[in-house]
Order: sequence, then C-alpha cells, then structure tokens
Amino acid sequence: MKQKNIDNIIALSNDLRWQIGDEFHDNLAEGIYADAAEIVKGAVHKENGNKRLRLDAKIDKIVTSKVWGFPLMFLILAFVLWLTIIGANYPSAMLAELLLNTVHPALKSFASSVGMPWWLDGFLIDGVYLAVAWVIAVMLPPMAIFFPLFTLLEDFGYLPRIAFNLDHLFKLSGAHGKQALTMSMGFGCNAAGVVATRIIDSPRERLIAIITNNFSLCNGRWPTQILIATIFIGAVVPSSMSGIASLGAVIGVAVLGICFMFLTSWALSKTVLKGEVSTFNLELPPYRPPRFWKTIYTSIIDRTLIVLWRAIVFAAPAGAVIWLISNIHIGDLSIAAWMIDSFDGFAFLFGLNGVILVAYIVAIPANEIVIPTILMLTVLVTGISGGEGAGVMFELESASATGDILRAGGWTLLTAVNLMLFSLLHNPCSTTIYTIYKETKSTKWTVIASILPVIMGFVVTFLVAQIWRLFL
Amino acid sequence: MNTYNPLIALLIFLGLSLLGYLFFRPNRGWYWFIKNSSRATDKVIAEDILKRLYHNENASNFLNINDVVRTLKQDEQMVVESINKMTTLGLVKMEGDIVRLTKSGSDYALRIIRAHRLWERYLAEKTGFNKSEWHQRAERKEHELTMDDTNLLANTLGNPQFDPHGDPIPTISGKMAKLKGVPVSDLKVNTIGRIIHIKDKPDIIYKQILAENIHIGSIIRIVEKSSERIVFHSEGEAFKLAPIMAGNITVSVLEKDVAFEEDVLRLNILKENEMAKIIGISKELRGESRRRLLDLGFVKGAEVSIDLLNPLGEPKAYLIKGTSIALRNNQASKILIKK
Amino acid sequence: MEVKPKSACESCAHFNEAGLKKLGVNTTAYDHVIALAGNPNTGKSTVFNALTGLRQHTGNWPGKTVTRAEGGFEYNKEKYKLVDLPGTYSLLSTSEDEEVARNFILFGRPTVTVIVVDASRLERNLNLVLQILEITDRAVLCLNLMDEAKRNKIEIDTRSLARDLGIPVVPTSARFNEGIPELIQTISEVASGAIVCRPHRIKNIPKNIENAVEELSEEIKKEYPDIPNSRWIAFRLLEGDQHIIELLKSGEFEEYIS
Repeated sequence: MKQKNIDNIIALSNDLRWQIGDEFHDNLAEGIYADAAEIVKGAVHKENGNKRLRLDAKIDKIVTSKVWGFPLMFLILAFVLWLTIIGANYPSAMLAELLLNTVHPALKSFASSVGMPWWLDGFLIDGVYLAVAWVIAVMLPPMAIFFPLFTLLEDFGYLPRIAFNLDHLFKLSGAHGKQALTMSMGFGCNAAGVVATRIIDSPRERLIAIITNNFSLCNGRWPTQILIATIFIGAVVPSSMSGIASLGAVIGVAVLGICFMFLTSWALSKTVLKGEVSTFNLELPPYRPPRFWKTIYTSIIDRTLIVLWRAIVFAAPAGAVIWLISNIHIGDLSIAAWMIDSFDGFAFLFGLNGVILVAYIVAIPANEIVIPTILMLTVLVTGISGGEGAGVMFELESASATGDILRAGGWTLLTAVNLMLFSLLHNPCSTTIYTIYKETKSTKWTVIASILPVIMGFVVTFLVAQIWRLFL
Repeated sequence: MNTYNPLIALLIFLGLSLLGYLFFRPNRGWYWFIKNSSRATDKVIAEDILKRLYHNENASNFLNINDVVRTLKQDEQMVVESINKMTTLGLVKMEGDIVRLTKSGSDYALRIIRAHRLWERYLAEKTGFNKSEWHQRAERKEHELTMDDTNLLANTLGNPQFDPHGDPIPTISGKMAKLKGVPVSDLKVNTIGRIIHIKDKPDIIYKQILAENIHIGSIIRIVEKSSERIVFHSEGEAFKLAPIMAGNITVSVLEKDVAFEEDVLRLNILKENEMAKIIGISKELRGESRRRLLDLGFVKGAEVSIDLLNPLGEPKAYLIKGTSIALRNNQASKILIKK
Repeated sequence: MEVKPKSACESCAHFNEAGLKKLGVNTTAYDHVIALAGNPNTGKSTVFNALTGLRQHTGNWPGKTVTRAEGGFEYNKEKYKLVDLPGTYSLLSTSEDEEVARNFILFGRPTVTVIVVDASRLERNLNLVLQILEITDRAVLCLNLMDEAKRNKIEIDTRSLARDLGIPVVPTSARFNEGIPELIQTISEVASGAIVCRPHRIKNIPKNIENAVEELSEEIKKEYPDIPNSRWIAFRLLEGDQHIIELLKSGEFEEYIS
C-alpha cells in the first residue's frame, strides 16, 4: 500500500516535470533571486551602489593590467622561490649539523657501546635513521618557508588573480584556469598541489591538473638542480658569471617544466581526456589583509607538518633498502653494484649512468635523498676515498668536493644536464603517487600519472644525448 | 658499445615514433581502424538493422534485404546472416522479400533508440563535447548500454522526455511523447514560437542548421517569408534560411501576448564602463553549465558590467550582484543582455 | 539607519561568558548538532574556528572546504557539535559539494543551521539562504564581515531583515571575534526553542510551477504527515533528484525524516 503511494508520488513528479518542461530550474533560480532582491531593497542601504571598494579596484587594475600583470606575477613567484631557497639554507645546514653530524655519530657510538651487531646498527642507524634525517634536514626548512608565504598570498586574495591572468593559456591547452593555482602550489610540494586540485569542479579538467602537477619542480628537487647547476653549469662560464649562469639554468629547467605542463595538458585534452571545458567560473574575492601569525601557524600545522610526516613515512623504508642493497652481496658484488653494472649500458643511451638510475629507483619515496644516494653509490663503485662507507648516505661540505667525486665517477657536462632534465621529468615521489590514488580513486589514472613523466624523461634525455654527441 | 652511433640511434628512434604516430594518431591511426572494424560485431549489426527497419516502418517504408544492405553499408553476407538469425529468434519476419519487424523486434529497436537518445541527452547536459559529435558518440554507445544502464541513466537525467534534437525518448514501456508543432516554413510573418525539434536527417541539411547556430528551446519570431527564403529573429540574431532548411525545424506556436525581446545583445560584446541588463541565457547552454551561471546570479533582470579586463583578452571579470566573476568569452556569448 | 545588533529579540537573555567552553575536535557526546552553511568566501571557516577554538585553515579562494570539518563547544552545560559544510552558491545543482551540504541539512537533522553570509553581498548570498529556509525552520543568519560592509558604506537594517526572513539575524566580524558571543547565545536559544522561527518561503515562482509544487507537496504530506519540508522535497522531485527518489523507493526516507 505504502509502496504504491510512493510510486504514485514519483510517477506524479515525472508527469509534472514533463508538463513544466525545461524551464523549471531557470524559473526557480529567477524566482529566488527576485525574492532576494525584494528583501534586500527593504533592509540594505548602500551609499555607493554596487561599486567595489576603490582600493580593491585599484589593486585589481594593476595586478591584471597588460603592462604590469605578468611581470608582477613572475616577480612575486620568483621572490617566493628565492626566499625559500636562500632562506632555507641556514636552518637546513643547522639541522644537518644536528641530525647528521651530532646525533648520528652519537647513535653510532651508543650502538657500539651496547654491542649492537653491525648489521642491525647499519640497517637502523645508517639506513632508516639517515634517510629520515636527510628528509627532515632538506625538506622541513623550505616547506616551512614556502607554504606560509603561499598561504599569505592565498589569504590576501592574490591567487585567484593569477588564475584570472593565466586562464587563457590554460584554455588553449584545454585545461582549467584554476590549474594555475595548483601548479604554483606544486612548486612547494606536488602532493599538496594534487590535493589542491579539489578546487577544480569539473572532473576532466581536474584529472588534467592532477596528471600534470608533477611538472612543477618541487622543493625536494630544487636542491638537486641548484647543486648540479653550480658544479657543472657554473664551471663552463667565467667564474664571474658562474652564479648567474647556474641560476639561469635552474630557472630554465623550471620554465621548461611549465612548458611541459602546457604541452601535456594540451595533448591529454586532445586524446584520452577529450572534450571542452564544461564549466568555468572564478570568483575574484575582495582583498583581505591576512592575519599574519595565525596564517603562519595554521599553514605550518595544516600543510607543512602533514606533508613532512608523509615523506618521513615513505623515506624510512627507502633508507633501509639503500643500506640493504649496498651491503648484501651476491658473489663478489653488492646488489647495488650489480644493479649499477647492468644499468650502465642502458643509461648510457640517455646520457646518464647506472648510478643515477639506481638512485632514482631507490629514491622514489623521496626526491630529497637522490643526491646523497648518488654520492654514496659513486664512491661505492669507483672505490675512491671519501664518504662514510657502504650504504651510508652523505653529502659534502663544499660543492667542489662533491664535483670531484662525481667527475671521478665519470660525470660530464652532458651527464649533469641530463640529470637536471631527468630530475624534472621522472615519476612523482611515492607520497604524490599515493595522494593521486587517494584523490582519483583510480588505478588507471594513477599509473598514467606515474609512468607518463618517466617516458617523457627518457625521450627528452635520449634526444639531448644523441644530439649532444652528434654535434659536440 | 663499439657499434653505437648517435645518428643511428636517433634514426631508430624517429622510425619508432613515426610508427607509433601512424598507429595511434587520433581518428585515422591504424590501431583505431583495427579496433573499429572488430567492433562491428554480430550484435551491432543486428541492432543497427532493427533500428533501421524501425525508422523506415514508422515512415511507412518497407525494406527488402538489398535496401538494408545498401543503407547499412555493411558486408552483404554478414547482413543476410544476421537477418536469418533474427528470423529464427523471432525478431523479424520475411514477407515475400520484404523484411518486417515483429512485436518483439520493434520493442528491441525501441530500447536501442531509448539508449541512443538518452546518451545524447547525457552528452549535452553533463559533458563538454561539441554538439556535432553527439550523434556519432551515441551511435557507438547505444550498443554498449545494458537495460539497467539505460534505466539508471534515465533516472540520473530525471527521466527526460526529449533528446537534445527534440526527438522523443521512449519510456521503459516504449511510450513516446508526441510532438505537436508546425514547421517553420509554414509559419506566417510575425508569429512567435519556440523551437521544439530539429530533424537530424538528412545529414547535409542538419549540419547546415547546426552551423547556423540554431538550437532547441529558443524563441523565434518570423519577420519575412517568401518562396526563396524565410527570415526569423532569435536571441538577438537574424537567421535567413532556405525553405527546405526551415521545413526541418519544428516550432510550437506561442500565444500572442508573449513578450519577444528584439535588439538582444551578448554579454561578450559589452564594453568597459557600460551597464546592461540580463535578458536570459541562450538555450544553447544546457545542463550543469547553465545551472551554474544561474546560481551565480546571471538571472533575468540582473544588472551587469565589466569589472576587469584581462591582459590576454580572456576571461573577463563581470560585476554581478556585487561580486566579480570571471567568465570565458564563449560562456559570456551565451548570456543575452540589453543595454 | 543604525545597525542594531541583537535584532531578532531585544529581550534576549545576555551572553553568559562563564558558561562557554570551546571543545576543539572533542565531540564525542553532544546535545545538539549545529550545521554551518554559507557561500564560499564569506568567512565561514573563520566563524567555525571562532566558535570551536580550532584553527582550520581558511583560505581566501572559493571552495576551500571540500570535505566537512567538525568541532564543538559547550555553552551553559549543553554540548554542541558543529559541522562545517562545504561553501556553495546554491543547493540546486548536482556537484559533489552541494550534495554534501544539501543532504546534511536535509537528513543530518541538525538542531540549528547557522547560515553565514557576507554582509556586503547580501543579495547574492540570500539565494542560498532562501533555499536553506525551504529545508529547515531552525536557522540563524550570521551576518558576517560587518567590518567590510562598513568600509563599503553599506548599512543593514537587521531587524527588518530578521522579520522578512523569519529567523534571528546576528551581525558579526568573526576575524575580530565580534558578535560571536551573541551568535552563541542565539544558537542556544533557537536550539532550546526559546526562539521560534517562521522562515520565509519562496514566493516569486510562475503559476504553473507553483501549482505543480503545491499538488506534489500535498501528496507527499499525505504520505508523510510530519514532514516539515514537503515543498522542498517537491522541488527536488521536480528537478529529478536521484538520491531522493532512491530513498523514497527503498523506504529509507521515512527513517531519515522521523
């Protein structure tokens, strides 16, 4: 009986819907706004009509102007990145001094004093502890600077203006203007950038934003770029120019990343993610002076620590694996040496070497440990003096000492250039992969987002290597 | 490593990428050819035959096997086999050399038509695909949707009555709404009406109508009528059509007292420091994107002006009900205004 | 005209500061559920933080809160659980965030729904307010960002607004904690039934739709006599809301509304 009545209600609603026709939603929306207008008329008195605040309008005129819009945007982004990179140096060095040079030896001596077997000591202290310590030392300071700065811009209301300015370029590549925001966020951390894509409300454009976020050079990769550029790019120009040249190279790689982002978005929207933008609308909110300390506090709690914690969770097992492969021997060779040997020929095709590939495989969990791993593996296979012993990641005080070890490992300018390119174009770190899976809930798209950049990385480094060898 | 030569490596790479391109390039890649040809399975052929027979029988055309082969553009033997098989299944019966649908055959055909039209509606409302692609996509999808899929789709779309061309969508029990309207070619000057149907066959004329940017639901007023051409106004534009084209557009005539807005403009042409009143949103914009604009306050009677121009020309920000909202030009061009 | 705080009830009991305890995320046992709804960019999360003492991040870009956040406070020995719904312009469409907000207000059975609006953009914000008032008749309008409205030289007669909407209106500037005590006091009074709302119902609808809604709403009332928002259910059925149709068919609808 009940069921029949309910079926009647549904049938009646279908009939009525057909009678009313397509106009229902239009009429309802218009009706509600008409009510709203009546109520407002009686209750609100505006002195300036519907105009916006003069100061707001003025700021907007400047930040979206033909002349100042783009330069201002790049200046602000450059300033944020500069502050992040330069400002992070000191706390990073302090953390490294504390965690690597003070706590690590202390742990080692404690381990020997309690008579811990060498393998347990190596596995836990040289493997797991060192990887975690590296990640904290390298990642925490820049993120603790980048995210609050970014959040201040966000709270002020500047970010939607960036999306507004850049939307046309995104439209040309079939993507959503709000992707500009998630892209900038990716310069801090790709995992955070992927989470930020929630602001894009159409699923197709959101997927594009997720897949291409990895092309934003993240905090874990900036140090690699800067170190390698200083050692190799800076060395080919006169020393007075070397600072500028290496900085230019790093910025060039970041800009190249943006180009790849546009290119990939375009290619995706022409093939597997076909279609046009279904909805685009962007509210430009009024400017609001941010509450400085509150913003800094919340952004560190909300973003920095969460991302850092995830990175640590993934880096700890990576450290263990690095120690294991360099200390477990098959025949005469450790697994690491054996892997490096077998990858060498393949890597040569791409102007890289076996050490780099092995380092990137074991360092999938965290890009921060790529350089320490490369150094450790280079010393391991070349047998030159230096370093801390098998399976112990290290970094050297001076860039030139690092350069000496790398050159001894057979590195050339081509290796350096291709390492920089490969560092830009390779799979996202496992934190990001996990985040992509959580956001898309699709194995297929997670796999595509992970594999696509690696393929592009191999293609680009391959082409560069061949052309380099042909002409240089 | 001795035999390695960068030039050869490059050439091998170029060869491989060319091959990859030939295989996978959009639409004409070999991979798609193989995929498409294997798609023409027995099921697809059978369903296409049923559909073709249904449409023709509705127009009192009765086809023989040759006609079916000709209209389907499929391998003759496959068609004949398919018809034989369907005869044993009781979906079609032979009357002399005429192929006719049985009751269950025509029910089956209706199910396919239902799936097709619902999918077109889905594409129109929920996705951003171009309208010229809807039909082709639905032609493929109709064979993939099961009964349950179709019903679920109908429910999520709110059991619509018509597809985006104005054709009725059959209900589960096979009922279809009737179109009550007059072709534009039969209307007198000054009649006001709402477009309710655009015939999608023949293809050439349909494409022309689409190119004119005429869409279902918009209100038109006839301003001129002669044996060479019919002119009507709709959403601020004048359309000049040949009588054959006009004959393919059906209109339901509205009462005399309906206000018809002349001199309607589009929001994208609004200039800085100009004010305008919104008249409505073009019927071309449907589903989600239409609702979103309404929710944001782009409703009839609202005042709108330009808030910010863009350094790249697009999108522009419009001041509407006290808030600055950025829209791309193609969206703004679907908002009708009056200065 | 002067802006009058405390418009809805001049004779309200005064805020009892000693009775307030912010509970953060500790919301295990509670007496009332309070839903927090509003447009994007109205400072909804700031109001949430001010009420709960939490520090959810509040960004100045639309659509920051995508999932709902929860927190709580205790006032005059009653425990309140606060649910921060995603910011939406409307509840009529099918996007995910709107669905979350809509279903929570409809089926989550909040004791009170606090609607946060931007005082300087009242007209646009009323779109959502009027929709929510079709669903629930226990609501409080939090007229936030009063500081910005003042800077914009906008004056609002909160008393006439409260009369037109049929619910209490509390002006606040949550960033500076202004008006929050009054808001808490008003919430508690609506929750306890000391204030009874007579919410506005949408009027300006064409005759044919109004008739259809009436007809359908009558049928729904016959089947579910206690339902407070049969008109809204009728709206949703006419829109073809699959979620509601499913609930009706499976019989779960009854459990939700009773």
